[in-house]
Amino acid sequence: MRPNIFVKDKVAVVGAGLTLFRRRLLETPRELAWEAARQALDSAGLTFDDIDCVVMGTAPDAFDGVHFNGEYFADVAGRNKPTVRVYVGGGTGVFVPIAAWWHVASGLCKTALAVAEEKMSPAHPHPQGVFAYIWDPILERPLGPNLIWIFAMEMRRYMHKCGATKEIIARVSVKNKRNALDHPAAQAAANITVDDVLRSELLVWPVNRLDISPVSDGAAAVVFASENEARRITDSPVWVEGIGFALDNTHWYNRELAYPRYVNYAARMAYKMAGIERPWREIDVAEPYDPFDYKELHHIEGLMLARPCEAPKLLEEDWFDRSGELPTSPSGGLLGVGNPIAAAGLMKVAEIFWQLRYEAGPRQVKKPVHYGLAQAWGDLMQVGTVIVLGN
Amino acid sequence: MAWKRWRIEEVIHYPGSQEVEKYVYTPGIHGLELAKALREGRVLGMKCPDGVYVPPKTYCPDGSPGELVEVRGPWRVVTYTLVHQDIYGNPLPEPEALALIRPDDADYGGLIHRVRAESIYIGMEVKPRWKPPKQRSGQITDIEYFEPA
Repeated sequence: MRPNIFVKDKVAVVGAGLTLFRRRLLETPRELAWEAARQALDSAGLTFDDIDCVVMGTAPDAFDGVHFNGEYFADVAGRNKPTVRVYVGGGTGVFVPIAAWWHVASGLCKTALAVAEEKMSPAHPHPQGVFAYIWDPILERPLGPNLIWIFAMEMRRYMHKCGATKEIIARVSVKNKRNALDHPAAQAAANITVDDVLRSELLVWPVNRLDISPVSDGAAAVVFASENEARRITDSPVWVEGIGFALDNTHWYNRELAYPRYVNYAARMAYKMAGIERPWREIDVAEPYDPFDYKELHHIEGLMLARPCEAPKLLEEDWFDRSGELPTSPSGGLLGVGNPIAAAGLMKVAEIFWQLRYEAGPRQVKKPVHYGLAQAWGDLMQVGTVIVLGN
Repeated sequence: MAWKRWRIEEVIHYPGSQEVEKYVYTPGIHGLELAKALREGRVLGMKCPDGVYVPPKTYCPDGSPGELVEVRGPWRVVTYTLVHQDIYGNPLPEPEALALIRPDDADYGGLIHRVRAESIYIGMEVKPRWKPPKQRSGQITDIEYFEPA
């Protein structure tokens, strides 16, 4: 059943582009965004002049070290065009295409360029320092928290509640880094074993070095068009079937940490719009957000692609491999391709676009694909953003 | 809401700062070429379909990739301001002139820089005063200031 949502124009994805993801790139944030945007337009056979509106995203300015960072790289394509920056922390990467969707769906723009960029390398001694200031300045910051602490606690809670062991969770990292071997932009592709993950440097128990995605520079871009425009541009448009976003409460410790309810609400919103009633059967390929390996399982459950606490078991049965029943992170995800925050989320949308066009080359999943989804998560660990695409 | 004029010593407060130790910026593709040129006492611009832009920024405003060209001037003041106070509000001993300076062989942009002159006016011809070659490090401050030509 589709809800009665008034959408003036059906929206298609017609092109996508990606820079290399690397620890430190020579390019400035503007140049990274430009490179991704140019590739995306080239792939659609368009030029900057064909773009009506621009939506861009970047996570905190403090990584790039440029305040108004969105505006700073806006002139990539946004010169004298309606241009807006959207921001929901780590969820930005999927929120940018959501915002681009409503630009086109509303009839305001016939074509919209979504660009997401992140350059984390300028912040020294380590970009982790930027995360020190997301905490409550009175009750939490005096303890000197870092980001990995709370993920470690969430991971521990998930392990406890679902009986997932570190060995099982490590298989996500093994799978994604292996998938990334086929990705030309990948930063952290590797053939590793569960033992390698378990024996890697212990950071904040139960999180080891190889449980976490790397620090990255990079940019991604996706071109959206209304149905009429899309039919002119390409014979194989990929349609935006549904979008969803939800924000949970501010305090991460007020939630049941073992289940990402905010992702679930966002997913339900997107499924409703897409007319998807049984996502675990109807979604053919997914890119759940995987900055940490347990997070992929966590999000698979939130997205209702598995029952709560069922994802570790399915993972053991190779359910989520490229040749599996429901391939997840066929790109290699954040763990394998890299994690330039906002760009990483949009990279996932680009991957679903390529999968649904059967253009993913060696990364193409084995099964036939009709519906795919990409998801990101962020802010104070409280926002879920979901986009469902179909071909 | 209760309000009085508090002294900072009288209240419990939570000092904080929001800085990383430092930032290390990369120059970018054409930025790197510009840095090399500055070390050699040259300034680069970028040739775009609609004209020459200074400084070069890898892509043109229309989105096409630009082509690096050297700009030689003569340089002219497009607009300027006179700074009388520093950022803390302390008066400067001498007002300092800052100007947007564009070379005649460029169509858009220019450099923002200090000008040292008895007087300054729009359209005034100026030239860069370079640091000695050994002291140059590929930064905009390799030009100490602009002076009357």
